[in-house]
Amino acid sequence: MELRLIHFYPDLMGLYGSYANVSVLKRSLEGLGNTVTVETVLPGQEADLEGADFLYMGAGTERSQLAALADFTRYGDAVRALAENGTAMLFAGTAMELLGKTITDASGKEHPGIALADFTSVQGTRRIVGDVYGKTDICPQAVVGFMNKCAVISGVTAPLLTGLELGFGNEAERGSEGFHWKNVFASELTGPILVKNPRLLDAVVSAIYQHRNTPLPQERPADPWAEAGYAITEEQLRLRCQGNQK
Amino acid sequence: MRKFLAILVCKLGHAVGSLVGKGSSLPGKYALKICPDILARVQLPSRIIAVTGSNGKTSTVEMIAAILRAGGKSVVYNEEGSNQIEGVTTAVLTHATLGGRVRADVLLIESDERYAAHSFRYFHPTEFVITNLYRDQLTRNGHPEWVYDAILPAIHPDTELLLNADDPLSSCFARGHEKVLWFGLDHCSFDTDTPTGVYHDGACCPVCKAPMEYDFVHYNHIGSYRCTRCGHHRPDTDYTVTAVDLGQGRLTIDNTVTIQLAFRSIYNVYNILAAYAVCRRVGIAADTIAGVINNYILKNGRMQRFTLGAHHGTLLTSKHENSIAYDTNLRYIRGEQSPCTVLVIVDAVSRKYFTSETSWLWDIDFDQLNCPQVQRVILAGRYCNDLAERFSFTALPAEKWSVQPDIAAAAKELAESGNEDVYVVTCFSDRDKILAHVEKEGM
Repeated sequence: MELRLIHFYPDLMGLYGSYANVSVLKRSLEGLGNTVTVETVLPGQEADLEGADFLYMGAGTERSQLAALADFTRYGDAVRALAENGTAMLFAGTAMELLGKTITDASGKEHPGIALADFTSVQGTRRIVGDVYGKTDICPQAVVGFMNKCAVISGVTAPLLTGLELGFGNEAERGSEGFHWKNVFASELTGPILVKNPRLLDAVVSAIYQHRNTPLPQERPADPWAEAGYAITEEQLRLRCQGNQK
Repeated sequence: MRKFLAILVCKLGHAVGSLVGKGSSLPGKYALKICPDILARVQLPSRIIAVTGSNGKTSTVEMIAAILRAGGKSVVYNEEGSNQIEGVTTAVLTHATLGGRVRADVLLIESDERYAAHSFRYFHPTEFVITNLYRDQLTRNGHPEWVYDAILPAIHPDTELLLNADDPLSSCFARGHEKVLWFGLDHCSFDTDTPTGVYHDGACCPVCKAPMEYDFVHYNHIGSYRCTRCGHHRPDTDYTVTAVDLGQGRLTIDNTVTIQLAFRSIYNVYNILAAYAVCRRVGIAADTIAGVINNYILKNGRMQRFTLGAHHGTLLTSKHENSIAYDTNLRYIRGEQSPCTVLVIVDAVSRKYFTSETSWLWDIDFDQLNCPQVQRVILAGRYCNDLAERFSFTALPAEKWSVQPDIAAAAKELAESGNEDVYVVTCFSDRDKILAHVEKEGM
């Protein structure tokens, strides 16, 4: 297949290896025999989202996030329509907040999101940073990652991670985290979560194929470094969880 | 009475701590418990110099202290490493009389960037050097703008700021502040036209987020920037590196002072310039400064030479979680001519706290190692697989890099074959794991 991935604001929303989610997805799709193009969208630039196979935005600072939102608002209708028809998309890190109804910044000012989902984000003066280990309905394996945000997100009815054994979720310590609806994946976990979690990468690849009504090839290239890296981090964090429970 | 008690407890605690080799923050912590505003109650020197920023604090402060002392000033500083309020309190009180007078001409403080506002609640620096603000230790710092916002309340209107003109973010501290002096580098022979590295923190203006343009770039996003919308731009400098030749290890400041570099890194250039700027500002003669920092070898050096079998080796300490520190050291390796092997170790991400966070590996420009003299790269330590995954996205040919999880085994294999130069790139948290297997040399 010829697949189009659209990467919104790679510089503005590019904290801590956010770009690598696109890199690893592209390589994975190419490994399945597809021709993949990545189109980047900069603020103010016109972008044609029609027929896109995947939309992506990574993490940014709170000021960058609002600058991104100011531009992204004009794509709101198009993104909601694509989500409705099953297009795969990932909003990682602070980009997740753009999907909600509103973002309230630390000064108390409320900014409308694109309202793809019903949740609201309220940013504060406390930075929530820490390793995360959680469960998801998407796969039996745990999801690992790193939380780096200052927002409490309320009103998520369908989280991506159903519960955390380590870390702060949408609105509580060890609460649920992220958002998942149809083929929309969103998580505040910062950085290359698709690299760190090979099964999440599989889920996104699968979503892209499903939207194209194309069966996934049986033969799939392995990524042994990513698998081994995941295994060690998963073990480290699991041991940490067990240590916390003692 | 509480003041007296706090000073006494701190002095005693410090004396006991020195005997048993314990850290420098505990005595200050106890003193603050006894008398929370002790720093407001002591009589500090009239000159208080503080240094903060993501990179270069410790080196810059060490050089400032050496210069000031050579210039005849007595200096008290938190050289034992603790740079939060407890460490600052320990340094101040252990050098105070029991009546609370600090016996020094200058109080010099290396301040943690996140907690500067705590340290400077009860007093404020007369001169405040801010070296830079980069992506650094996301596991505690969040991101650079978050740190910027944390430093802002630490800046008193009466404080004179000495800022890095070449850094688009930390230069914003001058906004709305009257007393500012600037240091920076003129256009250099090694400059590029556009930002380098994997990510571009100079792409968008830190003030208004519009696109920025560059006249020249010294490294990453550090250089001569200009916002296309709000006009935020690199200001003219008061203290300037007017010429620098990293190959020859020579730099010239303000067209007059020539200094030989013991370590030919762009970092060292900025640290020297920052130290020069603040020392000139407080009246130290240029000759005195040059005398001290010419060929200055840092006590707290980030570089260690060693031998391993028939190899000559160099350990380049790069803070984990700090991609620009890594990029700078990779650039140093790329600038060397002899054939070499590079060993990259990521075993414990931090020595101070637990984390398995490796996102920062993706911010490092490992493609800099894709050059003819780098013959092979060995990836070692607990997170060697994450390193390998990262390397699988570089242009380095797969046959050039390999993985050896065990650091001792990597050292043994190296020792047993070859005689090319070896560079080890790793963090404080992991450096002893390799140094245990080599013969250290002097610089």
